[in-house]
Amino acid sequence: MKQRLIVTPDLCTGCRTCELACAFAHSVKGKPGRSRIYPLPTGKHEMWTPVVCLHCDDPACAKSCLVDAITRNEETGAMELDNDKCVKCMACVAACPFGCSLHDAQHDLVVKCDLCGGDPVCAHFCPTKALTCRPVIPTRRKAVV
Amino acid sequence: MVSLTINGRVVQANKGEMLLSVTRREGIDIPALCHHDAVEPFGACRLCMVEITKAEWDGWTNYVAACLYPVEDGLIVQTHSSKVNELRRTVLDLLLARCPNSPEIRQLAAEYGVTQTAYEEIPDADNCILCGLCTRVCERLGFKAISTVGRGHDKVVAPPLKEAPPDCVGCLSCAQVCPTNVIQYEDEGNKRTIWNKSFELIACKECGKQTITRDFAEALSSQRNIPEDYFELCDECHRRELSVKMGSIVSWSREAAS
Repeated sequence: MKQRLIVTPDLCTGCRTCELACAFAHSVKGKPGRSRIYPLPTGKHEMWTPVVCLHCDDPACAKSCLVDAITRNEETGAMELDNDKCVKCMACVAACPFGCSLHDAQHDLVVKCDLCGGDPVCAHFCPTKALTCRPVIPTRRKAVV
Repeated sequence: MVSLTINGRVVQANKGEMLLSVTRREGIDIPALCHHDAVEPFGACRLCMVEITKAEWDGWTNYVAACLYPVEDGLIVQTHSSKVNELRRTVLDLLLARCPNSPEIRQLAAEYGVTQTAYEEIPDADNCILCGLCTRVCERLGFKAISTVGRGHDKVVAPPLKEAPPDCVGCLSCAQVCPTNVIQYEDEGNKRTIWNKSFELIACKECGKQTITRDFAEALSSQRNIPEDYFELCDECHRRELSVKMGSIVSWSREAAS
């Protein structure tokens, strides 16, 4: 089932629990990895919002990857990065217009949100439900005449 | 699907898959220096040699490079038998003679019990094992800026005519994949130097952080239709921009609701 991580900025308090959960969920050899999700202040009404990969329909990261290491997981709908294929040219890090492909300097890996294989850990840990995960229900679209 | 036995364990694999990727998936550690999933297997370093046999082979065995051997039904594989380890020790012995100063080779050789080479060490060794991974990755990326030049003991990895390569964009992929970290580069100020060629690094408009070179960004824009203004900001400033945009959208919707 395709998943969608839904962000509701109104509910985010900027507690950064999602960041912590993400870093631990993506540990490499027991060391926490770089978080794929960033709660940032929006500059309006003292409101925060988690910034996370949008898994675009026309993703700049996958287009910029010259070795095709970033592909869509048809099961979850997430754009996933294969670290065994990645040659760390940083093209996706530079190309993503939302800055959601990141370089994990500690482990020397390029990382991005993979929706944790269909069950995002950040959504489980968000205390205010600013992050929720819902399956995408296919809707029947009206034909454009 | 085919079924084979690796170190006494029955393993399922897809048809056409190479032995090395199956063993890696099963968590069996076979050393391989020239292998990278981004490029086709090449079989240059010969460290992934394994022993194979089949029930109908009457006890005969064969030694093959796992990265180049497609899986077969009924194959019986030994990845760390004494004969395989002896083969790897010989390969490491030779690699150690070629690259006596490489920490990566020294460590791997020590794991197999080779601390000193039995051969004569090459004078002025440069740590390159000539696996060609850098040239293959460069070709895979579509730039083909470097290649192996010469034959026999004259063989080296070099740009055409050993001059600054015109096709290089300074993406550093060759340096990143090199198993012995022999490809040197320098990032200084807004200049990156690799293969004796200088590149301008794009600095973020807001914070000045540098990610890729201008030549690489231009190549990506023209080959992959990525708008050039995507490269103006760094990842951090892009995220900040998105959070501000999301804040504006929420405040508009609040105003519209009230």
